[in-house]
Parts: sequence; C-alpha cells; structure tokens
Amino acid sequence: MIKRTYDWIDERLNITPLWRDIADHDVPAHVNPANRMSSFVYCFGGLTFLMIVTQILSGMFLSMYYVPDINNAWYSVQYITNEVLLGQVVRGMHFWGASLVIIMMFLHMLRVFFTGAYKAPREMNWVVGVLIFVIVLAFGFTGYLLPWDQKAYWATSVGANLANTVPLIGPYLKSLLAGGSTIGALTLTRFFAIHVFFLPAALLVLLGLHFVMIRKAGIAGPM
Amino acid sequence: MSAEDPRQKIPGVPRHRREFKALADGREPFFPNFLLKEWIAGAVFLAGFMLWVIYNPVILGPKADPTDTTFIPVPDWYFLFLFQFLKYFPGPDIILPGVVIPVIAILLMMFVPWLDRSKSRRPFRRPLATASMMLFIFMSIWLTAEAWGQHEVEIGAGVAQASSSNGLPFAVQHPTSKALLNTSMPGYTIFQQNCAGCHGSQLEGSVGPELRGIGNVATAQQLLPVVTKGFSPMMPPGGGLSDPKQLQSVVDWLAQQKQH
Ligand code: HEC
Ligand code: HEM
Repeated sequence: MIKRTYDWIDERLNITPLWRDIADHDVPAHVNPANRMSSFVYCFGGLTFLMIVTQILSGMFLSMYYVPDINNAWYSVQYITNEVLLGQVVRGMHFWGASLVIIMMFLHMLRVFFTGAYKAPREMNWVVGVLIFVIVLAFGFTGYLLPWDQKAYWATSVGANLANTVPLIGPYLKSLLAGGSTIGALTLTRFFAIHVFFLPAALLVLLGLHFVMIRKAGIAGPM
Repeated sequence: MSAEDPRQKIPGVPRHRREFKALADGREPFFPNFLLKEWIAGAVFLAGFMLWVIYNPVILGPKADPTDTTFIPVPDWYFLFLFQFLKYFPGPDIILPGVVIPVIAILLMMFVPWLDRSKSRRPFRRPLATASMMLFIFMSIWLTAEAWGQHEVEIGAGVAQASSSNGLPFAVQHPTSKALLNTSMPGYTIFQQNCAGCHGSQLEGSVGPELRGIGNVATAQQLLPVVTKGFSPMMPPGGGLSDPKQLQSVVDWLAQQKQH
C-alpha cells in the first residue's frame, strides 16, 4: 500500500533522485566515528543542526503563549514558567539550547578552522558559515530582551547605546535598533519580529546554502 | 546481494539498495548505514541536554523597571567577553571595543581563506593562522572569566566589607528590637511557609542564621541572587522556592526588615 502510493507519486513527480542523492552519497572513512573515535569532531556541525531544530520547535511552542508587549511580556513568560503544562521545560529547552547552539557552533567552527577545511574549493562555504555565526549571535541578542525582565532591559540599553556611538549614523542606527529614542514598546515588538521572522528566514536560507555547498564539494579529505 | 532480483528485500535495508556493504576503503552510504549510527549519538546528546534542562530550571528576573538605574547590566554569557572589553575603554573610546574591533574581527574571519593561502591544511604547518585563533580563544575565555568575577563582586557590592568571619554574605548586626516589620506584605506569608523552618518564624535563626536586621545590610536586588543560588548543601537553591515571583516577594519583604 505504502509502496503503491509512493510509486504513484514517483511516476508523476520523479522524486526518487531527490532523496537518493542524499541517501547514497558516501560518508568518507576519516569523518566516521565508527572507524576512529577522534572523528567525533566531525559531528559538531550535525549536532549544531540538531540543536537548531530543537530551538525552532521549542520557540514555536513558546510563541503560543508569549505576548510581545511591554505590559504583558513579563507576565506571559511568568505564566509559561509557572502555569503552562511543561512550560518550564520548554522554556528551559529554549534558554539552555541557545547557549548550546553557540557552543556547538563554535566547536564546529574550530574543527573547520584547525583542519584547514576552509581552503579551496570551500572558501564560499566558510564565508556563509561566518554569516551564520553572526545571525546566531543576533538571535541571542534579540531573544535576551523578550522576557522583559531587568536583565533584558538593561543589557539591551547597553547595546542600543553602543549603536549610538557610531560616528555620523549613530543616532539613526540606535533608533533603527530600538524603534525610538529609548528602549520601550517599539523595541520589544521590533526585537520580537526580528527574532521570530527575520532571523529564522535568513538562517534557513544560509543553512540551505551551507548544506548544498557541502554536498557539492564534499567533506574535505583527510589532512 | 547479487543482482538477480533488484527488488529482493534484504532484512533491515530499504528496497532500492544496490551494493551497499561498507566499501573496502571504509566509506559507507549516508543512508541508512551512517545515519543509523549517527542518530544514536544525537539521541545521547539530546538525552543529556534534557537532563540538564530539567535539573536547571530557568528563573525569570524581576520585571523591567526603566526608572531603576541602579541595576547592573549584564549580558548573556556569550557576550560577556565583549562586555568586559568595553570596560577597558571608558568615554568616547568605547566605540573601539563596541563597534570598530568587532566589525574588523568579523571581516577578518570572513577573509580567513584568502589570508591563509598556504597549501597545507595541517595546523602546525600554518603557524600564524593557528596562533591567531589560539590567541583569540585564550583572550575570550580570559575576558569572560574576568567579567564573571567582577559581576559577582558588583552584585554583592557593600557586601564584601560586611562579610565577617563566618563567611556569610550579609552579616546581620543582631539587633535589639525583635519585632517583625511589614507583616502584611505577601513575602511574609511565603517566608513563614518556606524559610521559617530554617531561619525561624521570628527570623531568630535555627538551622540557618538569624535574618533580623538584614534590610540594613542588603537590598532586595542584592538578596535575590544570593537566595536564588542558595548555599549548597545547607540551603537549597531559592530556599526551596522556584517561582520567581514568590522569590521576589520574599526578598522584597526581607529587605524591609530593618530592625535596630
Ligand atoms: C534547609 C534550611 C534552609 C531553608 C529552607 C532556607 N534557608 Fe536560608 N540559609 C540556610 C543556611 C544554613 C544558611 C547559611 C549558609 C552558610 O552558612 O553559608 C542560609 C543563609 C541565608 C541567607 C544569607 C544570610 C546572611 O546573613 O548572609 C539568606 C538571605 C537566606 N538564607 C534567605 C532564605 C530565604 C529567603 C529562604 C526561603 C525562601 C531560605 N533562606 C530558606 C538554610 C535554609
Ligand atoms: C548553525 C550553524 C551551523 C550548522 C548547523 C552547520 C552545519 C554543518 C555540517 C552538518 C557540516 C558537515 C561537516 C561537519 O559536521 O563537521 C558543515 C561543514 C562546514 N561548515 Fe558548518 N555549520 C554551521 C556553522 C558554521 C560556521 C559558523 C562556519 C565557519 C565560520 C562553518 C563552516 C563550515 C565549512 C567550511 C564546512 C565544510 C567543512 C569540510 O568540508 O570539511 N559552519 N557545517
């Protein structure tokens, strides 16, 4: 039954080559921890991706209760933490997961750096990687404001004041970031939109490029 | 495995598989061979992560108060190194660590493949690249540690000199007036339910130390992190409370206990 359904779809859309390409490509021996334990450093990219997936999932559930408005944001987070079934766990996953993404991404970057895997023909993928790094840090910065607690508020103030110090465009940069002259209602809605719409869109595009390029160039061979 | 019948089902293997035994040179197909082992690593990783999440509940700090300029700002840990870097450039120079140097650093990172053009990929054959990255890692760790240490000190400001031989963060002066103050505050009830067992219903102390007059030596903002952290192993984190709102009420009430 399943097979017949699959064949029916395949006849029309020819989907087999799509997934066969992913399934059939060979994983080289030197990156496979089953051969040599020290190859686990090649897992860091995959584990980063796993964490990105859990971040997206836990974030989706948090957004069912979170309210991006200065009067209610803090109470909504409090409600998630204390009242919602498993809310504490989902919030914990998103909170600790953010740190873990950064740690794993950093380890992955170090692996790529110290194995010299950014050299030709993989230069472009390294550049994409650096962009991903910046995007992930931006996730951290915008997400930190969302609970609207004291830490959130004052850390973001420091960030906005830094933007202000840029010569000439400083004040514009600050109001672009904060949505006004002070951290307030507009900052929160802005950071929320950036955190849940703009950055994920950018991240998914960049990750797509990252993976296509890995597939094209293959993993760098043994040193 | 011979090619007589391509649709012959080999147990545990998807139908369309051709030759798929691990190749002689150790290569193996991504799916299913590699992924079947790989997901185990992922599962163990996730299980460890979930345990960490469950045993380290996240607390919510007090609600943002734009008028309270005494709050000491602190970013999340992965920005601490930058935050610490800012402190070394007071005044208008803050633009250097705050904007100029990070932008240069990111650009340098992007151009690494063109900066390090040596043919070799081995770290020891390209000492400049390796040394620069090592230096960057070392500096980041050091700055983070510095920031962490300084923040702990700032949070307990005014605490250091009060700290007496018993090593408690807030040494109370054993006041002569014993009456509890502001017992209508919600924190009073929470204290009686959660903390009085160790600190005494009149704050006189039993298992835990006396807390009368603690409002003279500590503010609510200083108390919150101390109580939240607890004193392992004598006092559990949050004194047994995990609800940040209740914690806040308790420390708000404690900060009012200014008996003399
Ligand atoms: C299981 C017993 C226990 C419970 C419950 C408990 N404490 Fe404690 N607490 C202690 C002990 C013991 C110490 C002293 C730790 C030390 O000597 O390092 C302490 C220390 C403190 C201090 C520091 C006192 C000082 O002078 O620096 C504060 C503040 C405090 N507790 C508040 C609370 C609050 C608020 C609660 C309830 C939410 C609470 N404690 C619940 C045992 C407890
Ligand atoms: C969300 C973040 C990221 C994810 C999910 C991710 C994922 C991956 C995966 C799964 C691989 C395959 C090899 C491996 O796992 O080691 C890989 C390779 C690679 N990554 Fe990333 N990556 C991320 C961020 C970065 C960053 C920050 C950089 C560099 C600044 C980078 C540069 C590279 C390069 C150059 C390769 C090819 C390495 C080779 O061929 O040996 N990536 N990435």
